[in-house]
Amino acid sequence: MAKLTWAEARSAATAGRPLRLGALGGPALWVLFFLILLAPIAFFLLVAIMPAAADQGTAWFTLAPFIAALSGPTLQGLLDSLVLSVGTAILSLAVALVLAWLVQRTNLRGRGVWNLLVWVVLLTPSFLVALGWERLLQPEGVLADLGWPVSGLSHAFFSPLGVIFVDTTKGVPFAFLAISAALGALGREYEDAARIHGGGRAAALRMVLPILAPAMWSALAIVFAETISDFGVASTIASTSNFPVATMTLFNAVDNFPVNFPVAAAVGWLLVASIGLALFAQSRALRGRSYQVLSGRSRTSARIQLSRRGQSAGIGIMVLFFGLTLGVPAIAVASASLLKPAASAITLNTLTLSNYLALARHPSTLGPLGLSTALALIATTVAVVLGLVVARILTQRRSGTPARILDLLLLATVGLPGILLGAGYIFVYNLPALATVGLRLYGTLFLLDVAYLANSLPITARLLSGPMAQIQFGLHDAARVHGRNALGAWRTTVVPLLSRTLLWAWLFGFTGILFELPISQLLYPPGQEPLSVAITAAFANFSYAPGTTLMVTSVAYALTVVGLVLVGFRVLAPRGWQRVGVAR
Amino acid sequence: MLIRALSKRPLLASATAVAVAVATLTSVAFATSQPRAARAVQVGQVPLIVYSAQGYDMSEVAAFQKATGIKTELLCDSTGPLLARIAAERNNPQWGLIWVDGNQPFAELDDEGLLVRHYLPSVKFNALGKSLIPSDESYIPTGTTIAATLIYNSAKIKTPPKTFQQLLEPKYKGLLGMNNPSISGPTYPYVSGLMNYLGGVSKGKTFLTELKANGLHVYDVNGDTLNALQTGQIDMATIQSSAIIGALASNPDYRLAFLKGVTLLPSDIGIDRYASKTEIAEAERFTAYVLSKAGQHQMKIGDPTGDSNFWPVVKGGSPKTGVPALSSTHYQEINPYTWGPKESAINDWFTANIVN
Repeated sequence: MAKLTWAEARSAATAGRPLRLGALGGPALWVLFFLILLAPIAFFLLVAIMPAAADQGTAWFTLAPFIAALSGPTLQGLLDSLVLSVGTAILSLAVALVLAWLVQRTNLRGRGVWNLLVWVVLLTPSFLVALGWERLLQPEGVLADLGWPVSGLSHAFFSPLGVIFVDTTKGVPFAFLAISAALGALGREYEDAARIHGGGRAAALRMVLPILAPAMWSALAIVFAETISDFGVASTIASTSNFPVATMTLFNAVDNFPVNFPVAAAVGWLLVASIGLALFAQSRALRGRSYQVLSGRSRTSARIQLSRRGQSAGIGIMVLFFGLTLGVPAIAVASASLLKPAASAITLNTLTLSNYLALARHPSTLGPLGLSTALALIATTVAVVLGLVVARILTQRRSGTPARILDLLLLATVGLPGILLGAGYIFVYNLPALATVGLRLYGTLFLLDVAYLANSLPITARLLSGPMAQIQFGLHDAARVHGRNALGAWRTTVVPLLSRTLLWAWLFGFTGILFELPISQLLYPPGQEPLSVAITAAFANFSYAPGTTLMVTSVAYALTVVGLVLVGFRVLAPRGWQRVGVAR
Repeated sequence: MLIRALSKRPLLASATAVAVAVATLTSVAFATSQPRAARAVQVGQVPLIVYSAQGYDMSEVAAFQKATGIKTELLCDSTGPLLARIAAERNNPQWGLIWVDGNQPFAELDDEGLLVRHYLPSVKFNALGKSLIPSDESYIPTGTTIAATLIYNSAKIKTPPKTFQQLLEPKYKGLLGMNNPSISGPTYPYVSGLMNYLGGVSKGKTFLTELKANGLHVYDVNGDTLNALQTGQIDMATIQSSAIIGALASNPDYRLAFLKGVTLLPSDIGIDRYASKTEIAEAERFTAYVLSKAGQHQMKIGDPTGDSNFWPVVKGGSPKTGVPALSSTHYQEINPYTWGPKESAINDWFTANIVN
């Protein structure tokens, strides 16, 4: 029998596949992207130059919103945001590299705990971290009450430095997840090659770091986009630290009456342009190279054995990081939920469990938690499935212009504050023309969930695309050659290699949607409050302690879900899936 | 070309098909959640959609539904997001009525022709209430508070100021806090009222600049400013009267003082002119109910530490126990049609020059 070339074998393997799904699925995918992402975003951005299109003014063409956005406090906010986002991205990556190396490549004690704590940081709302530090460092805050001289520290915190610090604590988990999957999955053969050829540890590092480039650039892009679109820190420390940022100026345009959507849209354009620049930098850095190093032949790497001093130093770094990011806000928030109304100091006399008891007595207040759980479950599951597809499109070397358009579209969604995406959904799905043909989507839980999906998909795809870039699809092709159908080949090759990242991406999407606020505010149907709206309503009515109690309960609930899913993965997933990417 | 490229990748197609299928299932799962027009067809009645930022709105809506049998759906949020939602819905409004604090947004909505005009429920307004009704009757007052007056810690301040001008005195340097009008709903009426009282925008800007030089602290909303008072960052604050009255019970040293020239902040209802006739009629019934004895009772019990601390605008109404008499207060009302359109510009100026 004549020997088949690889190309012939591949061709033979794919020749007989059913065309049906391909014919239907491809267009359906792009129609879906158009409906959930492109149409609302494009319509919203259009308002900046054609306000009349959405009944937001009389002009059919104007540049006035851009002139307004590029002057005065709005311009200052944009410049501040750029500096803040670049600084935060670089700092977050540096910290994440250290943490990920310790957890993935050394025998540091308590690795499981550190990994879990990264998740806890990720799902802690950014304004809570800010609030915790504010409570600690304000003139008559906890430290001042204890007699510590905090004025210098307080001055430094309530400044751009404090803003960068809190944003970095939120950025590190993103960077950590992007890096650690790649770092953990990287076989030891590259380091070995360097060492065999006489290179020292530095040479091995010089070899490994470039291999991690896709994950590092992915981390930088994610942190940049997340920071530039963050509102939690912008609305807390940034607004009181003489450091106005773009999301705050944008919020001012939408929250002040008369509502100025055209100026908000112009700021949106500028945010998208900033993210376009970040994407351009990423693509320039990675152009023309392949980073497909993860294959079935990758050997799991041996962990570096830390000395006793190394262990102490490593654990010290971890305790310092998580103490700063979690310990402080946790103490502040827990104390707030345990305080009697209007108590200003924490003593035994001012502590009470009444807020938790009230929550237990009125389980109806937990209704929003149930609703948000259901919405998050559905939207996240769809986002992960679609995210897998998108990550594949983004990482194919010859995917060309459509992939780049898709990438920009996804990053634009990450960079656009949720309030703009929500408004775009109203503009499009509340069009009278749709109602006349019987399509009434605005004001339904369905549309709210689709918007959650649209908001969650880009970040999910970005989380997946780093590890996806490292998969050698020869494995998949081999499965096809040996008779697996398309789905079967993915299930037995790609999915196992990505299973841990998929799990993380799902958990992140789930917790993100559970606490999502701006989209919820604009799209939730009357009488069906999601969790974030209920918490905000409690705070707005001066119910500081009950609001905090509901929030603490919800965070504890989210942590429980995370724990259960992780345990479920341990118990149910095949052993091979769990071994991929785990250094021994 | 794109479609062809994708059609060559069955795995992509398969995953997409799964996602689309899940999305379809989602839509089936949410079949019960249809917008109001669709529901109206099914049950033969239009639900009344209430957009509200009032602390007592849940009590009021529940009582109204019980009393009239009219299905009412409440969309409860802060004033800002509610107005943003109304603005985004402009080419196809979905709201039935809006119930928030402050005349100015209503003046703006009226200027844009979005409100039903010349409707007043058949109740007897008191003199205060009559003074708050606009000439075209496009919105209806349901009660009033004061946009901002003084709360101070009497353990630290023995001689509180009696006028806004006295806040500039050196002995109060660094002691005063207020909210940011760009973020806090009731604060723009306060700032614009202050400017009106002092003789205009430029005099108001000068005053606020001097206040900043005297160590003014600016926080986001009432809760943050009160928190600053509780934690000793400041010793006095100018915030909404209802929030002050609610906070008085929390600390025996807290006192309320009415500064000369404070501005009224009425709560108003405006009805969507583009709602169906049925819904407009329901909204009118809701308004009449709110101003009835039963409705006023709900307003007084629905949010005891916040919005329930209001002064009634109907004859025979009395404020909740603990709310001081308004008669001794030197207050003013400002023209919302003059000051409403200036909101964005003044808030931008405040953000650039006072906050930062």
